[in-house]
Amino acid sequence: MRINNAVARGFANLGVIGVVSVTVLGQGQMLDPALLTKPPIDAWPTYHGDYSGRRYSTLKQIDTSNVKTLTLAWVYRLNASRANAILGGEGPDTPPAGIGNPTVKSTPLMVSGVMYVSAPDHVWALDARTGRELWHFAWKTRGGDHIGNRGVGMYGHWLYFLTPDNFFVSLDAATGKERWHHEVASMKREYFATNAPIIIGRRVIIGVSGDALDVPGYLEARDPDTGALVWRWNTTPRPGEPGAETWPNEDAMVHGGGMPWLPGTYDPELNLYYFGTGNPQPVLTGQSRAGDNLYTCSIVALNPDTGKMVWHYQVTPHDTHDWDAAQTPVLFDGVIDGKPRKLIAQANRNGHFFVLDRVNGQHLVTRPFIDSLNWTQDINAKGQPIGNPAKEASVAGTLVSPNTGGATNWPPPSFNPDTGLLYVGTSQTFSLYYLTDTDPRPQGWAAAERNLANLGSALKAIDYKTGQVRWSRPLAVGPTGSTGGAMGLLSTAGGLLFGNDGGGNFVAYDAATGKPLWHAGLGTNTNNGPQTFMLDGRQFVVVGAGDAVYAFALQQ
Amino acid sequence: MQVARVSSAMVAFLCLAYGLSASQSPPSPKFDPAAVARGEQLLKAECGFCHGGNARGGSGGPDLTRSAIVQEDENGKQLGAFLRVGRDDKGMPKFEFTEPQISDLATFLHSAIYLAANRSLYKILDILVGDPKAGEAFFNGAGQCRSCHSPDGDLKDVGAKYDPVTLQGRLLMPRTGGPPGTPAYRYPNAVKVTITLPSGESVTGALVRLTDFEVTLYEAAASGQMRSWLRNGDVPKVVVTDPLQAHMDMLKKWTDADMHNMTAYLASLK
Repeated sequence: MRINNAVARGFANLGVIGVVSVTVLGQGQMLDPALLTKPPIDAWPTYHGDYSGRRYSTLKQIDTSNVKTLTLAWVYRLNASRANAILGGEGPDTPPAGIGNPTVKSTPLMVSGVMYVSAPDHVWALDARTGRELWHFAWKTRGGDHIGNRGVGMYGHWLYFLTPDNFFVSLDAATGKERWHHEVASMKREYFATNAPIIIGRRVIIGVSGDALDVPGYLEARDPDTGALVWRWNTTPRPGEPGAETWPNEDAMVHGGGMPWLPGTYDPELNLYYFGTGNPQPVLTGQSRAGDNLYTCSIVALNPDTGKMVWHYQVTPHDTHDWDAAQTPVLFDGVIDGKPRKLIAQANRNGHFFVLDRVNGQHLVTRPFIDSLNWTQDINAKGQPIGNPAKEASVAGTLVSPNTGGATNWPPPSFNPDTGLLYVGTSQTFSLYYLTDTDPRPQGWAAAERNLANLGSALKAIDYKTGQVRWSRPLAVGPTGSTGGAMGLLSTAGGLLFGNDGGGNFVAYDAATGKPLWHAGLGTNTNNGPQTFMLDGRQFVVVGAGDAVYAFALQQ
Repeated sequence: MQVARVSSAMVAFLCLAYGLSASQSPPSPKFDPAAVARGEQLLKAECGFCHGGNARGGSGGPDLTRSAIVQEDENGKQLGAFLRVGRDDKGMPKFEFTEPQISDLATFLHSAIYLAANRSLYKILDILVGDPKAGEAFFNGAGQCRSCHSPDGDLKDVGAKYDPVTLQGRLLMPRTGGPPGTPAYRYPNAVKVTITLPSGESVTGALVRLTDFEVTLYEAAASGQMRSWLRNGDVPKVVVTDPLQAHMDMLKKWTDADMHNMTAYLASLK
């Protein structure tokens, strides 16, 4: 029975595997449900490269001994011009004012030698061998927050992405021509979209974003052929539903936020989709929402077929500092207290590292990973950090570490099974939090923030068994002190960890010690998750910094 | 949630320090202040009993600024259609407002929503809640502020020079300096660095950037230029000093009460 189920799920996952099989598989490996927890070597077919969120590659052509000879293969600078682009969208011919130049915050996909790069309103197909543009799709936007786009999803021949003005769009991957688009949220209610779609079987999973107004968050599964809604999961309960008891009233819970900002991870064997939910609304004060405010700031496990929640674990009960739990929940197997376990780990914006059993959400480890934290009162029996009410925003100002940006943020971390370490970019900021809306029913953010200083950013390697920081590499220093912090990371079987140094360099670190072994001075910090794949027998490492995509390979 | 917002908050902070407004948002919609005032009066008179005098909900009626109908409304069009019918099942009667009245009401509600949604417009309230006497005692005692500062010297009339919010920010971290657009390495109290070359030559300046691979400084006095060196392990020798180290160290030590008292004390120096 178990095997049959696994086989069925293997078929169900054909959407992603079928694509990979063109270049990688083809010999029935698609029936192995473990495949998607092992990174494919000559493709990067989904946001994290595979479903696990480890961002670990088994490739080792580039290793600690030869990384010194890593050199630039190509650069692609994002071309946002609508001239010669394939156009879509319902907005005006001239983009609304206030939209800046696009930057690469997405992790591109690479399938069959073609790379798919996205930024708000744009998708580009590049020749992964040369970095030359194959096609460019430009979306005529109506507006919306253009803060970032995390990437595209792929199923069969089709691409999927979300726009800042809340459209779910599908393109033909071969030509860049649009198939259809559907509106998934209201721009007038200050929703926007940043998420990268994740495809599980015949479910394209997308989430909405937005925190300017007190609107509810939701995650959706849509049909890959038609884009029609299959299920929707509200991140906060409705009256009478489980979790409703953690809100004072209906108004608070149905306007309680909890945006699923980022793509999640998936265990094909358990058939569970894992993702982190956003912070509750209003953002910086809790006076109208007494209680834990489920399921905000939580790691949630859903059945992707039905959209039903299987378990949840709230990493910040009753958050009042904008510390969402959207950071990647990373899946790996390990041994804790002598017992082999299927694990899920998150280095959270609130400054704590968590490890849970991903079968049932049982708590295993909580440990702070920065030293400057001053907001907690206690860590309770369930391993949840409990906030000190005195460290919530006040009219006269409250000094809090970290700032609203958190100890880390959205850029994807990496877990390396060879070292047993989870790598994460961190900072130790302080801010003043001023309560500006003293009404019993505050709105929006309800408080203002004034950033002060950073006591030190570092790239840290955390031992998953204990949460202890095994090594910490301080990042660059500038005229106002430490710089950098959260960063996208990639580790490989070559013993390498790719990330930045907070000072505009792309760096290959020794994954065991944190010693820098190679760097490229890009002049600006990388701002996406690096990726790697094998193409024509050559291992490429690709990263985005500013408005450009850089590909590196060993000198030939 | 996003990292980029940290830097815009920092921009807002720097702008505020110079009395400018942060301008990172797209052009804002214009709300006719007279229409907003008329709409507010109408709301208080006709809707306030159920929905509250500020539209955020009252005895039984929901918060109108959070209402999807209101948020989705275009210049009163959908709101007007709704009001003419009402919603009997929820106890919402119909209203026979004139077109100008509906327009005023919509303008007030959209303006309230706009002010909630745009946090760069939030106004910090009166923050002078501390005890100036306790602040003075802290200044002369536990805070050890006296070792660098004096109310008759560098802090003379400081309460007249800065508004309280700027004052409290600078009390904790007085890094900024110079007119808007000044690069941080030209701030008078930028982090400093001393480079010692194998030849024994030593160069001191404001730190522009220190990474594992390079060090760059700005030599204000001697050359007025930036100078950089590639790093190879301990060569050249690099020593970083922060003129504000005492302020950095204090960040972990402040209590909010001490901070508020000190702000009140400094505000009284005028």
